[in-house]
Amino acid sequence: MRVRNLTISYSGEPVLEGASLDVDEGRFVSLVGPSGSGKSSLLRALIGLQKPLAGSIKTGLSRSEIGILFQDDALLPWKTARDNVALGLTLNGTTRRAALDEAETWLDRLGLGGLGDRFPRKLSGGQRKRVALAQVLVMKPRLILMDEPFASLDAIVRARIVRDVVALVEREKISVLLVTHDLEEAISLSDAVYLLSQGPRAHVTQHYAVPIPRPRDPVRARMHPAFAPLYEKLWSDLSREVDYPRAVAA
Amino acid sequence: MTALDPRYAWVRRLLVLAILLAVWEAAGRANMLNPLYAPSPSQIGSALVELFGDGRIWPHLEATFSAALGGLLLGIIVGILLGVVAALVPFIAELIEPVMTLLNAIPRVVLAPLFVIWFGIGLSSKVALSFILVAVLIFFSVFTGIRQIDRRLVERIVTLGGDRAALVRHVYLPSVAAWVLGSLKVAVGFAFTGACVGEFVAASRGLGYLLSFAQSTYNAALMMAIIVLILAVVLIIFSLAGRLEKHLLRWS
Ligand SMILES: Nc1ncnc2c1ncn2[C@@H]1O[C@H](COP(=O)(O)OP(=O)(O)O)[C@@H](O)[C@H]1O
Ligand SMILES: [Mg+2]
Repeated sequence: MRVRNLTISYSGEPVLEGASLDVDEGRFVSLVGPSGSGKSSLLRALIGLQKPLAGSIKTGLSRSEIGILFQDDALLPWKTARDNVALGLTLNGTTRRAALDEAETWLDRLGLGGLGDRFPRKLSGGQRKRVALAQVLVMKPRLILMDEPFASLDAIVRARIVRDVVALVEREKISVLLVTHDLEEAISLSDAVYLLSQGPRAHVTQHYAVPIPRPRDPVRARMHPAFAPLYEKLWSDLSREVDYPRAVAA
Repeated sequence: MTALDPRYAWVRRLLVLAILLAVWEAAGRANMLNPLYAPSPSQIGSALVELFGDGRIWPHLEATFSAALGGLLLGIIVGILLGVVAALVPFIAELIEPVMTLLNAIPRVVLAPLFVIWFGIGLSSKVALSFILVAVLIFFSVFTGIRQIDRRLVERIVTLGGDRAALVRHVYLPSVAAWVLGSLKVAVGFAFTGACVGEFVAASRGLGYLLSFAQSTYNAALMMAIIVLILAVVLIIFSLAGRLEKHLLRWS
């Protein structure tokens, strides 16, 4: 996916200006920025929920090959976990039977075997997140856009889900663009990290390659010798990006 | 103080009710109550038995049920339609909302005499009153519900490749159904209120009519028997509506 000079504006001053970034096939790319810098807006533009003011987006993928994982799960409360997972398939013309079978397979794969009949209300936060993940993965996406999907989970649940997600996308060679405000998470999961400056008129900086080999264990990755220096560098660059506009305004 | 086991709340309530009835009955038998004003439970009971015994209650029950269920059904359908249209077409909302707000603010039963003039003393005027009570209620629950529909669910369907029809089927319809079911019990109560008040005002049949008949003949036992009957009817319908709600909203 290639994004060039993307500018997003709601009304008045642009939230995001001239953002460019690349996600090469099979790569895990993160975009780190402070809250309100326009990360969600960027992803919404990439998926077509938000019309950008200017710029171009090239994915080379069909609509159903791009999945999006929202900040909150957005499961339909009146559908069971299984029906929620099967939904995307039936909306795209798969028969209900086949869709439900496929959904069951993905529920099993994500450790939710036996929970297919539960309604979202009867699932824990982590389980709901896994259902939302299955809902995306069942579509066999080539690219997944993730909007801080793990932010609401507590540390242990989060570590487990993140590990499973990394294993799955590595195995299926799915490209990922993850937006997050969590620098550690970004480095430990990604092949490349972009920084987003404080908005309004937020911009994307150059990218930083993450020299930690794959397959990768997200927890172990934090102990890799390359982690700390990179973290240090990104942190100081990010601090500068965040503080700079304020310093100018002052 | 010892904690009460909440599972047996109904036993305790029933027990207290039984004691109250027994005291009331005893007071009646001891000639401490004037049966003209306060007939004893057994007198009310025998009035009830009499109503059912000679079968003359059935046409009245049928009349009230027809009016209430007719008004309920019509009110739900029209309430949903108006609510959906108003939520989707701002121009219509501009027209309907103030009318509905006004209708909501007044005690709508004051329309009963007007409906008698318009629709006669037959079934239609009672259906109309039930209808207006229910329709306004349902309108507001649908109207506000659709405007508060969860954007995230809409976006989820869109990003999964769903079209407008899919949105209606998977998000709008279930949401509307949930709001309507949420007010179903109140609507049932309203429907019976409408039917009975309408019959009370002017009718030749129905529980409301029997009530006004009992009043005009100063028959307190009959009156109380009918009140008990109306109570029982509404409670039964309530529990049916409650079950339906519980089943259909089992996801919530
Ligand atoms: N629908 C919207 N209408 C107007 N402003 C919005 C809307 N969505 C987001 N914004 C504004 O755009 C900015 C970026 O928001 P968002 O993309 O959610 O940032 P992030 O996800 O990085 O926290 C914020 O200042 C926010 O108030
Ligand atoms: Mg966000």
